[in-house]
Amino acid sequence: MKTEACERYLNDPDANASHLAECAECSALFSASDATFKPIVDMDALPLAPWESASEKSWPLVIGGALAIFVIASALFAIAGVAPVNGIMHVLRSTIPSFTTLQVVLRYVGDGMQHAPASLQIVIAVSFLIVNTLLIVLLRRAPKGIDV
Amino acid sequence: MMFAPIGAAQHGADQYLFGKDANVDKPIHGSLQVYGGNAYIHAPINGDLLVIGGDVTIADPGKVTGNVVYGGGHIVGAEGRVNGHVYSLTTLQGAAATMTKSAVIVSLLFVWLVVAVLITLLSGREVRYSSIEIRASALYCFALGLVAFTSFVLTAIVFSYLVPYLIGIPLLAALAVFAILTKVYGMIAVFHAVGTLVAGSRTREQLASRKWFRGDLAMVVVGVLILGALRLIPAVGAIVWSLSSIFGVGVALATRFGRREPAFLVWRPAEA
Repeated sequence: MKTEACERYLNDPDANASHLAECAECSALFSASDATFKPIVDMDALPLAPWESASEKSWPLVIGGALAIFVIASALFAIAGVAPVNGIMHVLRSTIPSFTTLQVVLRYVGDGMQHAPASLQIVIAVSFLIVNTLLIVLLRRAPKGIDV
Repeated sequence: MMFAPIGAAQHGADQYLFGKDANVDKPIHGSLQVYGGNAYIHAPINGDLLVIGGDVTIADPGKVTGNVVYGGGHIVGAEGRVNGHVYSLTTLQGAAATMTKSAVIVSLLFVWLVVAVLITLLSGREVRYSSIEIRASALYCFALGLVAFTSFVLTAIVFSYLVPYLIGIPLLAALAVFAILTKVYGMIAVFHAVGTLVAGSRTREQLASRKWFRGDLAMVVVGVLILGALRLIPAVGAIVWSLSSIFGVGVALATRFGRREPAFLVWRPAEA
């Protein structure tokens, strides 16, 4: 049962420390608060969680790796007789077809598809429906992996 | 292989071949389009030539007065026999032909590394989620990637029907952007997964003993280096990279780009 003395202790435990000797209930509740905390679970024995130290940035590895790849690419271009920077820039430009090429191809393919044999058009339509239905069914499954 | 001789001279008629080789030995007045076959041009084509999924061979007296567009194959004999432009969809192969193939692969690996580092810095948590998903349900990711890849191809074909009606072009562009983003993000998740599997810390003591070889960024870089090294092996490299792409596309869609949101909203009736 809470008394006025109990309330005074709750408001200022240090000034009313003697109350613990008088009240059995408060003593049971608060006198053990100084006891040493003993964890039930050994944290070090738990498996390593994926997020532990995940946000750390290992710049030496990033810079070292990028430099190593760049040097190897430059050396290979040099061996092939191409200026390294020109070679790398050429590869970058070549990765994506130009807008004009895509425009021309789209125009032709759009026209060509209209003239495909009827059997091929039916196969395409049926495959489109089956594959996309399967895709929707597969996408309904919730992800399994957890990161807690 | 089926073989279709393009016979009598055609006047103002475009010709389309699907799954057959085209042997042009008489002049054609119009365009020729070949899908899934080779084209042998021994007579003039007074129009354009498009060949997807096959090689183009032009020999005298063959020539093309319009443009030549080809993809998924090689072209031989185009010099001086094409009045218009020659457009190639496989420009990377062209680059690889003029330089050593390894140099091209390593250059692209450099680009992958830069992109992977940037994406991991921006959304490391999402990449990590996806990486965990690959390891937790690899088969599902692979199956989903395979289906999604097939879906991209079929959807692109269906959208191309709409190109003449203009709406097809923005639809195709949107599909292409989505497919590229899916592939790029998914590959970065695969890099992380491979890096973690090979070089990730197994115990807390091991993690504590590492000074800088830890964290998402390190795992991604290790993954890029490992898969990049495998990519340099002839034949095997291409297979490994393709499989990784399928895993990547699958995991990107499975985890909704690491956000783990539901793909579809569940319908519930409104409550009073």
